[in-house]
Amino acid sequence: MQSRHGQSSYRDRTEEFFGIVETLRRSIAPAAAANNVPYGGGRREDPRSAVANQSEFKKRAAVIGLAISQTSQKLSKLAQLAKRSSVFDDPTREIQELTAVIKQEISSLNSALIDLQAVRNSHNDERTISRDTTTHSATVVDDLKNRLMDTTKEFKDVLTLRTENMKIHEIRRQRFTSNPSKESTNPFVRQRPLASKPAASQPAPLPWASSSSSSSSQLVPRRQGEAESSPLLQQSQQQQQQMVPLQDTYMESRAEALHNVESTIHELSNIFTQLATMVSQQGEIAIRIDQNMEDTLANVEGAQSQLARYLNSISSNRWLMIKIFFVLIAFLMVFLFFVA
Amino acid sequence: MKITALLVLKAAPEATDPVILANASDVSHFGYFQRSSVKEFVVFVGRTVASRTPPSQRQSVQHEEYKVHAYNRNGLCAVGFMDDHYPVRSAFSLLNQVIDEYQKSFGETWRSAKEDSSQPWPYLAQALTKFQDPAEADKLLKIQRELDETKIILHKTIDSVLARGEKLDSLVEKSSDLSMASQMFYKQAKKTNSCCTIL
Repeated sequence: MQSRHGQSSYRDRTEEFFGIVETLRRSIAPAAAANNVPYGGGRREDPRSAVANQSEFKKRAAVIGLAISQTSQKLSKLAQLAKRSSVFDDPTREIQELTAVIKQEISSLNSALIDLQAVRNSHNDERTISRDTTTHSATVVDDLKNRLMDTTKEFKDVLTLRTENMKIHEIRRQRFTSNPSKESTNPFVRQRPLASKPAASQPAPLPWASSSSSSSSQLVPRRQGEAESSPLLQQSQQQQQQMVPLQDTYMESRAEALHNVESTIHELSNIFTQLATMVSQQGEIAIRIDQNMEDTLANVEGAQSQLARYLNSISSNRWLMIKIFFVLIAFLMVFLFFVA
Repeated sequence: MKITALLVLKAAPEATDPVILANASDVSHFGYFQRSSVKEFVVFVGRTVASRTPPSQRQSVQHEEYKVHAYNRNGLCAVGFMDDHYPVRSAFSLLNQVIDEYQKSFGETWRSAKEDSSQPWPYLAQALTKFQDPAEADKLLKIQRELDETKIILHKTIDSVLARGEKLDSLVEKSSDLSMASQMFYKQAKKTNSCCTIL
């Protein structure tokens, strides 16, 4: 039952198959016996069939548990392979095979678990069993289900990790090889081309390199304008290979122009909001100035009224008469005092 | 930033030469004796480039001091001779427009043309003069240019608004000084008025 280490491409389930066949045979025999003696010997057959059913249930549960543990082992191997992600040493095929195997196993385990549950339910209906047995079998089934769910979750995590790594590879590859071709980066679609590309690129780099060098040399004369008419035909031929990059260049330049326009519009909106802020602030300043001027006006008016009253008071004669009277009285007093 | 010629050709299958459907060229800046040879040159190069442009592809070829841009759409090919400064994108949008206009005005009759047509197509001549300025052809370029102008105007506006802010600040200071002074004046006046006994 041990799966082979390393890159195993299949899993040996023959022993499991034999075990299941045995259990089925054993369960069919008492079931057939029970059918032959329908109600009379049913009671007597029941304990035996109950025991047989119980042991069959146990065997099945044991088989499923073993399968789950093996699947999780494979999954950990797959996780390791997916994590070990260098750009050049890409074990794509093994990862793919392993993924397919694990998927198959998980689906078969799922169906086996469902069968187990069905068997358990049918056993519950057939015979009278103790409550402990019911709870025990229910617990076993639930435990197996949980383990299968954990395994499935791990599988999903490993797959997402794998896709992320593929994406990182693709980005790195594009950055370093500066390929003018822009293939789609769907990692699962690309896996086969990836596997075959190292093989195909071996004979193809020479025309590729020559075309890319001719295209790069194309750009330089274009900028300097030194090409003559005789290389015109040669250039046209080389441009056949350059066609797709030019198409992309055109689209790219349009896209870039649109981005520029969009960023310019953003800047413009910023400028407008700044303008609005500044103008509103200055509006407050203007209101303050207005208040200051009103205060000044009120003060000056008040001061003017005070001064007007003062002028009136000075220019009026009442106090003057009293003062003259007092001065006269004072002189009289002094005069009388000194003379008399 | 000059367009020297615009051509519309029918791109025949590989073996035969493309058939010229419309031709407009501006050779005014060449000397009188060179004009016919320049026209021949334009025709020949246009034919060559159009024959080598696959359908639904755009292509730019450098030839002496001209760039030749070609756009082939389902057998109808538009070729433009521009100088190096003309932006590539505007050139191709111009060729797009020319092809659309041609299809609108002539429908599918061009497919049966077997020899070079000699009638001038006024739209092409108009297009040649109108699109000497690349901004006309390429709306994106026009929009970008207008946006840049707007941005410059806005920068100037913001500068003037800042100056206005400075002036307003000085005004507010002066007005607060004035209100202080007037308040002192008022207090003084009240003081001299309230003190009753006069000497």
